[in-house]
Amino acid sequence: MSAKLVGAKVQRVEDDRFVRGNGRYVDDVAPDALHAAVLRSPHAHARILSIDVDAVLDLDGVHAVWTHEDLEGAMAEPLPLLIPHPTLTHGRTQYALAKDEVNHVGEAIAFVVATDRYVAEDALARIVVDYELLPAVVGIEAARAADLLVHEDVPGNVAATTEQSNGDAPAAIAAAPHRLALDLQIERSACMPMEGRGVVARWDPDQGRLQVWSSTQTSTGVRAAVAAKLGLDLGQVDVITPDVGGGFGVKIVHPWPEELLVPLAAQRLGRAVKFTEDRREHFISSAHERAQVHHVEVGFDDDGRVLGLDVRFWHDHGAYTPYGLIVPIITSTQLLGPYKPGAYRVRFDSLYTNTVIVTPYRGAGRPQGCFVMERTMDAIAAELGMDRAEVRAANFIQPDEFPYDHGLIFQDGRELEYDSGDYPAMLEKIKELVDWDGFPAFREQQAALGKRVGLGLACYVEGTGVGPYEGAHVHIETSGKVKVATGLTTQGQGHQTAFAQIVADELGVRFEDVEITTGDTRRMPYAVGTFASRAAVMSGSAIHLAAKRTKEKALRIAADALEADVEDLEIVDGVVSVKGTESSIPLGTIAVLSNPLRYAFDEASKAATQFNVGDPDKPPVAEDDEPGLEGKDFYSPPRSTFASGMHAVIVETDVDTAEIRILKYAVVHDCGHLINPMIVEGQIHGGVAQGVGGALYERMAYDESGQLLNASFMDFLMPYVTEVPTSIEIDHLETPSPLNPLGIKGAGEAGVIPGSAAFAAAIEDAERAVSPTFGITAMPISPSELFALRAAHVPHAQEPK
Amino acid sequence: MKISGENAIAAPVAQVWEAILDPRVLVATIPGCEQLEATGTNAYAMTVSAGVAAIRGTYSGSCVLEDLREGEGLTMRLKGAGAPGTIDATVLVTFKDDGGRTVLSYDADAVVGGMIGGVGQRMLTSVSRRMAAEFFGNVEGVIAHGLPVAAPVEASVSAEGTPVYSAAPKSSRGAAVGGDSFLAGVVVGGGLVLAGVVVGAVLGRRR
Repeated sequence: MSAKLVGAKVQRVEDDRFVRGNGRYVDDVAPDALHAAVLRSPHAHARILSIDVDAVLDLDGVHAVWTHEDLEGAMAEPLPLLIPHPTLTHGRTQYALAKDEVNHVGEAIAFVVATDRYVAEDALARIVVDYELLPAVVGIEAARAADLLVHEDVPGNVAATTEQSNGDAPAAIAAAPHRLALDLQIERSACMPMEGRGVVARWDPDQGRLQVWSSTQTSTGVRAAVAAKLGLDLGQVDVITPDVGGGFGVKIVHPWPEELLVPLAAQRLGRAVKFTEDRREHFISSAHERAQVHHVEVGFDDDGRVLGLDVRFWHDHGAYTPYGLIVPIITSTQLLGPYKPGAYRVRFDSLYTNTVIVTPYRGAGRPQGCFVMERTMDAIAAELGMDRAEVRAANFIQPDEFPYDHGLIFQDGRELEYDSGDYPAMLEKIKELVDWDGFPAFREQQAALGKRVGLGLACYVEGTGVGPYEGAHVHIETSGKVKVATGLTTQGQGHQTAFAQIVADELGVRFEDVEITTGDTRRMPYAVGTFASRAAVMSGSAIHLAAKRTKEKALRIAADALEADVEDLEIVDGVVSVKGTESSIPLGTIAVLSNPLRYAFDEASKAATQFNVGDPDKPPVAEDDEPGLEGKDFYSPPRSTFASGMHAVIVETDVDTAEIRILKYAVVHDCGHLINPMIVEGQIHGGVAQGVGGALYERMAYDESGQLLNASFMDFLMPYVTEVPTSIEIDHLETPSPLNPLGIKGAGEAGVIPGSAAFAAAIEDAERAVSPTFGITAMPISPSELFALRAAHVPHAQEPK
Repeated sequence: MKISGENAIAAPVAQVWEAILDPRVLVATIPGCEQLEATGTNAYAMTVSAGVAAIRGTYSGSCVLEDLREGEGLTMRLKGAGAPGTIDATVLVTFKDDGGRTVLSYDADAVVGGMIGGVGQRMLTSVSRRMAAEFFGNVEGVIAHGLPVAAPVEASVSAEGTPVYSAAPKSSRGAAVGGDSFLAGVVVGGGLVLAGVVVGAVLGRRR
């Protein structure tokens, strides 16, 4: 019997081609395609008075130039509002090409298709647009003030005002022995996948079919959007997602204007057409996230227990709302983390600004929520003079309280009900990992050397594996190879490895005989997508179920062929045998028997002739059976499963320069059973790196006229390997989810969530040792901001020590 | 974004004032200026070729001088657009006598958009200051030596009957001064250049 692969550190099979540069991305497809380029608004807010494309029409090599006037039918309508919500009373979406008005720098205005990108860009330069400039609304403060409006018909710039509560938070706060109020904010940032957006389309006039390749997180979503906008049947559109160089959330939006315009151009021109965005386009015309301002009121008792928590926040969603209210809803619910306040109320306004749209960025509203909650916990500890870990422990949901219902509605429209977890055990683990109790001595020792160090802790709970469903199809070939398809896409998560581990274990086949296909609507047309840390939970479970069905069928046929009882059979390395005997049959042969043809094509078919299957008096394929050794199944959970984690970080803040150095970073993580600990740890490493970026570097520098000033990798800071802790200490806790057959929870986003909260706490802790009133209320923080904060709290901090 | 600065020209205020209002002088002294067309009193349409770092291109735009207070100051309204970006600026220019020479101060409030706004920002302040210095240096040279012989200014008449001033090929002293690619010109919509402006952004970056 082979050792179980689920739970083993299996090397990722996809890395060989990635590391060697053999990955195949959208831009690698159709090298002979025409190239598209997009004219984008240079202004944040303007009326379009006229667009003159005359100078482009006769340009050599230009095949098409379109403005909104050239679009018809559904293509001329605004893009879909993907996720409506009852409180989203003033949702607005953009047009594929701007009609009359632009609302952010980078909004698409005109579309050119030419022989190559050079000609296409030269053509763009010849298009003359006459604008009437309108004042821009930039930042939450300006949006709230509402002196100026982004959309004339949206009063107050408010798209939605949403409120949820459990209990009477204001009354609980009023009655509490202690009260605090905090104002906290997080800046705008954005996903920066190495591969930007890209789309290729080819129209086959003979078959009347459209084939689209897109660097997306949802091929089925793109397919549905393209079909609807181009007036095609779903069955006429195939969407294929090849290797994708990172998604992090930004590629979940569908369709982008280019995802519609490129297929339309392919259809109209009868040529393959390609669009590959450049880095500046990614900055100004994809999506951002994170900008929120929060006001917290909290009431608590002498032990630090939160009796009432009342949070009001303002979310900057940019110029349009294609992705609805997902991000602020996640903040409003996931803010609670592992805690159970006596009463909770949360209200938010989702606001328009003349900036790039917002869609989930890895963590998706949780880094903000975690920052708010953890800053509040630290503030309570400081107010009561208590240990910060103790205050947290006093507020934890206890292990015997699961499932724990918060009495709120989560982003998927289901109850916010935690399925499992063990937060007290996790706290003990993180304290041990970071040596919480030994830190005061370390601080003293460092202080003696003239160094300033601080320790921060942040806890989170993450709803993962949201529905509605995913499916899988498992097919055993007559060669014995196992072909598996699931519809969601892959952006580097190692699905080809992790999913193959599940199949190998369930089917009893060799790992290397399993081939996983993701994101190809030809192979699995029913799917949702890869986001919300859902792939392992959703497709992993579906694949497990589909493999199980396939195994059942294989064993049924094998039992017949071997004249044995199903209970007595086992499958090892792709061969079914009767336990304890020599009697056996390979799965490839069973595949032949399952498909009663008249012909022998290969060795497996020849081998099959020695077996007789079925009752000679009945039809070769029974009424309730199908030919082929296949299994298909879907997994659809009642609600999300809730992963959790705690991060602790020790930083040194340079006494003179305010530079922030990471001395130690510790993570305890609980995503239920681990399919592949190496992949989970890789996800944590990547997440922590992004968390470091969010805490110390990344921000979108918009000026007051809505120009993004740092739209390049020269100016937008991201952590390199030199800025990420050299060692990240990781410990796992495994509280299986009762909601799925494998007991797993999502792990993709976790690492990034507590970054800002943990760093704010650690830096504050370091500074408070010398300046008791020092406080951090906004992230990210740069050395110069830390320097200024020091000066504000202790004017003598700038003096030589 | 706002940018301000000052430059001195070794000539009396009256002479500088006159030079700066003379389109023949402007076309010869604005770095990268290819053409200047009078569209009204002290109003010009211009074509300027410029670049910030790797972002180069030709901008067409307008420059209107108004609120003229002779020998004291004026307000310049600039608008320019080209493939690499757009500029919209109001520049306050003041003239001050300083013992026979003229100190020109400029105070610009500008919106720089498009690629140049996002990618060239870090360079804009320094580039615009150098451009301003170059421009005023050129003006000083013209006052001292007359219009450069190597760069005859051609005046013609446009189809609409307005005077058009073209700089002869390679006439731009800017090209000579800004020999390296970085300097060779800046920016955005010609007028900016006039005040030197082009407006930097670094100031506003880390708000």
